[in-house]
Amino acid sequence: MSAKNTLKKFYPVIVLTAVVAISVGLLSLTDNLTREKIEWQKEQKIQRLLFDLFPDMSRYDLENEIYIIYSTEDKVSYAFVAVGKGYGGEINILVGLEDENTLKGISIISQVETPGLGNRITESYFTDQFAGLSADEVARRRDGGQVDTITGATMSSSAVIKAVRAAAMEKIKLIKDREQGK
Amino acid sequence: MKMGKFGKEFTKGLIISNPVFVLALGLCPTLAVTTTLDNALGMTLAVVIVLLGANIIVAAIRNFIPTITRIPIFIVIIASLVTMVDLQFQAYVPDLHASLGIFLPLVVVNCIILARAEAFASKNPILHSIADALGMTVGFMIALLMISAIRQTLGTGNLSVFGFHFFTLPVLGEQPIALLILPPGAFLVIGLIMAIFRRTGVMKSE
Repeated sequence: MSAKNTLKKFYPVIVLTAVVAISVGLLSLTDNLTREKIEWQKEQKIQRLLFDLFPDMSRYDLENEIYIIYSTEDKVSYAFVAVGKGYGGEINILVGLEDENTLKGISIISQVETPGLGNRITESYFTDQFAGLSADEVARRRDGGQVDTITGATMSSSAVIKAVRAAAMEKIKLIKDREQGK
Repeated sequence: MKMGKFGKEFTKGLIISNPVFVLALGLCPTLAVTTTLDNALGMTLAVVIVLLGANIIVAAIRNFIPTITRIPIFIVIIASLVTMVDLQFQAYVPDLHASLGIFLPLVVVNCIILARAEAFASKNPILHSIADALGMTVGFMIALLMISAIRQTLGTGNLSVFGFHFFTLPVLGEQPIALLILPPGAFLVIGLIMAIFRRTGVMKSE
């Protein structure tokens, strides 16, 4: 077998390998160039959402995954991120607390739910329901709670409700401990 | 007649080879996103970016692609392109990414892209492949807008685009046919539109 024939035989493999190698190179290059910027954008977004929930916020700290919000009147409030498992993937929800027992409100940081159905969890008529509830009241109405799920998006709405409830129960305990520790 | 050919490759995607109604390609994202006009336009934007890029790259290297490994090569090119566009969007236009984010991953499973790479771009020069990509995108957009206008109007009782409100139907505004917003509604509407087009002879079956 001549060298030319060997080359011909392996040609498809060589081309595919080359295409994959170039793609991998370009992908890691893009990842490198954009990673910091993406992190920064996420931080900006959280800051904006915190500001929407706490309009009188002057600065905030992140401590043990809990956002401590200092307002202009030296009042301290808390917020945290709840992670739910939706229909399409992870749902990240920012939860703000009014005081140690009640929720001030929630906003969806990111989600990949089905457009037109599941992604309606971002709309205010759904998220507004959480304001003023205690962690215990965050449950579907048919489970004895105070939150209505969205028609056609039961899975996505339930995921949000479950995540907010679980995170609120856990974080409120931590926050109470922190307050007592002071 | 270079421009004539360009024009021909462009216009064929609109009706004669409409990707959704005639070629029946890309039905999965079509079913998923045609609930509102906003979604239809978002999907169109994601498709034009990736389809154009994929067609150009495939047409440019078409003479080097070995026949037996062409499909994996196309898939690698398309998936890489989608991921790169997705990362760039996240980094530089986060607001657009937030509203378009879900459509970009959906583009990977959009067989229009793979089908055009296989059926057209791998056999035609770059310029014609650009025309093909643009024509297919416009055809796709026409189909998406038709389906989503019907589903949004009857399924929610309203028609609006990007916050601009067109009208609210008198009775359906309060009691919309929610079935049309749900997945079965998409099948019903696409099936009906296809049937009407075939019956009236606007489109001929292959």
